[in-house]
Amino acid sequence: MAVGGRVLLAALALVMATVPAGSGPTGPGASPVRAAAAPVNTPQVDRFHSIRTFDMVVEPVRLRIPALQVDTALEGLARQPDGTIAVPDNPNVAGWYDEGPRPGQPGPAVIVGHVDSVNGPAVFFRLDQLSPGAAVYVDRADGITAGFRVVSVSRVPKTSFPSDLVYSPTLQPSLQLVTCGGSFDYHARSYRDNVIVYTVPS
Amino acid sequence: MQTLTGGRGYWRQLVATLSVVVPALLLAGSAVAPPRAQPDTENATPVQVAQPASRIVAGPPLAAPDLALRLESLLGEHSVLAADMMRGRIRGDEDFVQTANAALGENTDAMTDLIASNFGTPAATRFKSLWAAHVTALFKYASGLADRSEGVRDDARAALISFERDLAGFFADASQGRLNRDAAQVALLMHVDHLLRQADAYATHEYATADRVYREGYEHTYGLGKVIAAALVTPDQAAALDAPVWRLRSELGRLLAEHVVLIVDATRAGVVNRADFTAAADAVNGNTGDLAGAVASLFGQAAAANFQSLWADHVDQIMAYTAAVVSHDAQGRDAAVAKLGTFENRFASFLDAATERRLDSAALAKTMLMHDQMLLHQTDAFAAKQYRQAHEMVHSIYTQMFDLAGQFADAFGATVAARLPSGSPKTGLGGMAGVMGDH
Repeated sequence: MAVGGRVLLAALALVMATVPAGSGPTGPGASPVRAAAAPVNTPQVDRFHSIRTFDMVVEPVRLRIPALQVDTALEGLARQPDGTIAVPDNPNVAGWYDEGPRPGQPGPAVIVGHVDSVNGPAVFFRLDQLSPGAAVYVDRADGITAGFRVVSVSRVPKTSFPSDLVYSPTLQPSLQLVTCGGSFDYHARSYRDNVIVYTVPS
Repeated sequence: MQTLTGGRGYWRQLVATLSVVVPALLLAGSAVAPPRAQPDTENATPVQVAQPASRIVAGPPLAAPDLALRLESLLGEHSVLAADMMRGRIRGDEDFVQTANAALGENTDAMTDLIASNFGTPAATRFKSLWAAHVTALFKYASGLADRSEGVRDDARAALISFERDLAGFFADASQGRLNRDAAQVALLMHVDHLLRQADAYATHEYATADRVYREGYEHTYGLGKVIAAALVTPDQAAALDAPVWRLRSELGRLLAEHVVLIVDATRAGVVNRADFTAAADAVNGNTGDLAGAVASLFGQAAAANFQSLWADHVDQIMAYTAAVVSHDAQGRDAAVAKLGTFENRFASFLDAATERRLDSAALAKTMLMHDQMLLHQTDAFAAKQYRQAHEMVHSIYTQMFDLAGQFADAFGATVAARLPSGSPKTGLGGMAGVMGDH
């Protein structure tokens, strides 16, 4: 019950966050009132034109996480034949899932990076140390930066990776950062867990 | 129907009496009869009259996902109906206000029945009393704007703050502690704030601001509906509201239903050549952009570009029909109808292909035909000043689009899910395995 209450409070906070700053809860101040508008003379509806040009969102090119001193180029990642997402070739470079939403678009964008290489730390070595509220920035090729804020950090066994939460289609813009964590299975040559950082637009 | 006028004290007494002592005469939205414009006298605010309240009908309780969707839809509809009513009052368009108010009452009744179905008639009765008082105070605020009475506005604002506090208490009680009363009050006041700010901007002819806040307020009610629904059901039931398919359905429902309310507002502004037409048209375009953004997220940007072109045909022809109505151009109306027929088939084929045959093209074309026809009939009814009929059509189209969003969400979600990655990425090679335990 208490946990549910906290979740609801957090959800309410998110609801409130959709409202622009400066709009206090006690209603607007008294505003000057002018006479109600009279219809204009020339029919305006004749001049209506729907927008037809879709504003493309260009590719992300760089990821910056100031709290971790991460500043890396991004490479595109596809889905592999076994259904998993590909991982970057270079352990010091992160990659974004280029068959899904781009960071800043509606929907979940996903960036994946290595926690380590065969002989040292990699780009997401300290990803699990991010705290809620930390800033994450994604620079796009057109010079626009999409800003995000960490909501939560979770570590989950690889056997129960939450594909639904990470990838599934919704229209809320978000960015998930994924790497490995936990103990290392030397037989399988793989970590046993994944670290997932969930972020929302800041 | 009886109309009363009186001072602020009388108004408060009337509301208090009807809310507490005579529940059978609740100030239901449908029972609120906004009067004709009153003299510009600070203490002579028009007062609404209670009619016998409609009977509360408690159906079978809805499962949490359906309860939340229904609540979102009804709250969103309330938001736009209330804004429309307030704008009509500011314009002095009293016939329109009367029917907008009746539609608000039906919306209140529907929300009340929903509460009754899941939480019992006593809870529904209390809710209806509080909600109807909320609607009445919104009307009063708009009257204060129309009559240039700062005192009336202040009085209405104070009443709204009081009502929202009571409403927050109602939802907190109903949630059995899961919803914090203070947080609920802030969220409810934000809903009120949106409505008052859009009315303020509308009254001062700042139409772009008014319509921006109108859209923000509409979106806010969807979030509010989810939070309230999640609090009213048990935590294990509420978990279903975080499922991607539910979220997609909710989000598509909000966008598609918003298309209805915005294009209706633009056609109405076009019919009477209102000064806020340009802002209303811009709002329609904003929604079109958002819908295209949703398609981009699900099917990629090339598909979004195709969608936007198709959807633009749809919107353009609805507006072309409106222009033809204004100019009494029968041929123009026929031409718009014919072009809409082309759109309906092309749009259905587009979604049929995008969803890999998960949507039936023929059935979808028929659904879009119905959507278009009802929008056109709404324009005709509004142009003929048959406001009651126009409002009933809007309610039907709004509901239809929200329901259609459910079909879209199922088909879109399944199509996209089939292409998504699954499983765990292998993003560690073990070079730091010896120190990973320190993390």
